[in-house]
Amino acid sequence: MLRYAFYTGCSAKGVAPELYESTKLVAEKLGMELIELEAATCCGAGAVQEKDEFMSLVINARNLALAEELGLDMLTICNTCTLMLREAKFKLDKNPEVREAVNEVLKETGLEYKGTIEVTHFLWEVIDAVGLDKLKSMVVRPLKEFNIAPFYGCHIIRPPYLIGYEDPDNPKSIEMLIEALGGNPVDHEARLACCGFHSFWSAEDKVTLRLTAMDTQAAKKQRADFMVTPCPLCHTQLDAMQPEAEEKIGVNIGMPVLHLPQLIGLAIGLKPKELGLHKHVISTKSIIEKVA
Amino acid sequence: MEFFNLKVFRYDPTKDSQPYYKTYRLPVEKGMTVLAALFKAKEEQDPSISFRYNCRAAICGSCAMRINGHATLACKVQVTHLLDKYQTDTIVVEPVGNIKPLKDLIYDMDWVVDKLKRIKPWFIPKEAPPADGKEYRQDPFDHQKIDYASDCILCNSCMSDCNALKANKDFLGPMVISKAYRFVADSRDGAKKERLEEVLKEFNLEWCVRCMECTTRCPKEVQPYENIIRTRIIAAEEGFKSPGEIHAEIFEKDIYNRGLLNEMLLPMRQEGLLGAAKRAPFGIRMFFKGKVNIADFFGGHKVKRHEEVQKIMDKARQMKDKVKIKIIPDVQTVYEDKRKSKKLKEQKA
Repeated sequence: MLRYAFYTGCSAKGVAPELYESTKLVAEKLGMELIELEAATCCGAGAVQEKDEFMSLVINARNLALAEELGLDMLTICNTCTLMLREAKFKLDKNPEVREAVNEVLKETGLEYKGTIEVTHFLWEVIDAVGLDKLKSMVVRPLKEFNIAPFYGCHIIRPPYLIGYEDPDNPKSIEMLIEALGGNPVDHEARLACCGFHSFWSAEDKVTLRLTAMDTQAAKKQRADFMVTPCPLCHTQLDAMQPEAEEKIGVNIGMPVLHLPQLIGLAIGLKPKELGLHKHVISTKSIIEKVA
Repeated sequence: MEFFNLKVFRYDPTKDSQPYYKTYRLPVEKGMTVLAALFKAKEEQDPSISFRYNCRAAICGSCAMRINGHATLACKVQVTHLLDKYQTDTIVVEPVGNIKPLKDLIYDMDWVVDKLKRIKPWFIPKEAPPADGKEYRQDPFDHQKIDYASDCILCNSCMSDCNALKANKDFLGPMVISKAYRFVADSRDGAKKERLEEVLKEFNLEWCVRCMECTTRCPKEVQPYENIIRTRIIAAEEGFKSPGEIHAEIFEKDIYNRGLLNEMLLPMRQEGLLGAAKRAPFGIRMFFKGKVNIADFFGGHKVKRHEEVQKIMDKARQMKDKVKIKIIPDVQTVYEDKRKSKKLKEQKA
């Protein structure tokens, strides 16, 4: 059994509950035991990091120390959480003086950051630890009639010095996964683009919604049936904000967007409802009808 | 592979109504850079190809262009590496993105220079030179704050692939803001406030989407994205209030009060009641899709061991000013190949 310290992040507990549910269901089927870090806090999502670097390091050192208490690698389901936690780890591991100061703070609660675990993402573990061969053997409902547009999301590929899982210029992991599930990966010009989520509150009109429209339109242009992303923030932006993006450019797009575990779940025989496909803003009816 | 295709973006506004691509078949030579391939195509097949170059040693930044969709220096990347990396027999060469092409691979540098002028990219000392006639001196800790930022060669690779610039050409862009940081963070500079006001104008400091594309593309490890964030930190320390600063305060308060961000109450706290009213259609949509936890409107649940969080955050605030966090070079890890490292780990075990 593969065991992980499960870091849910805020979105899967808030605006993307279907991600939390589908991850747990799919992980169990794949033989991954997820031990939820119920005492973990928000990673700061880049916001705390830009206000107070030391505070963000302290918060995330505590999160990492909680996984160390379990002696397990930390599994995340959000790109930004992955990056923030890996960034904190990088800074703590490379800077002994800062690490000492952070541990002086953590000592107040009996915790210590030792640097003994890795921060990993669900996508990477499905490929590396579960393995594509095993995944293929579990497929009961190949997704062969679907053209699926991968949308990586920035923080699972960039910057390479913090992420370093695969080549940020030409990543292949999501395509590999789609192929293993019997689907057809669609090459589109926004597959490595940004959804705009992180500038929503300051640049909604001039940047964010325009990027959301460009990304979903790029998938549509290549006749994708739907997009898939390993990040709940990208999902919120591309799915829940798609109507606003449509309004912004005055074009109807209607591109469904699935979470990565939902994609796997469909192929290994889980029902669309238990995977929460009905919870998306852009209708997934066309997908549900085909897999029924 | 004995030959490869060099597919070059071509555009001459005096003759062409639209840009087009022309492909040159060239022999694969060990060690050949894309710049060398362009020279070979120009010298042996088509003298009309136009491109900028100078040092041929990844120092001057003149030969930045988009190669297979990503900005880089043509003199820094080798043909054989690219063919292997993309598993292809074709290398596509285009001018840097987001900036108007003038002719073939040459782009409009004036557009960028005009943006640069706005932040006054030169040293403005805050005091007279030392009386001993030597240079302006700086503490080593203060110097490392600008050490990497000072390495920028103005190649525009970061501007080329910037996602925010793609959507909004008014954005100053990563190279310009990073250059502003180089002076804003300089302990000897006397125009900090002036420069900050310029980058904060019309939300320029806020339009960055945090996609990290600029840092990934930078051929000199300048860390433009990180420099934008560092500039935001300095702006906040200098008392400038921006939406980003309000956003960060909300995050910090929520982590302190419950451990997790309260996404339901975020719009109201970020933009006030009127702003929240503007978000009503979004909220209603989310409610009917089962994406709203009603309990969150009343504060929501707290993470376990929450008292620990408050204790460490209080202590961190007390210690903040005593801790000197040095900037770590990004060392440009291409990628570590996690799969390989896992195998090695298993072998050792």
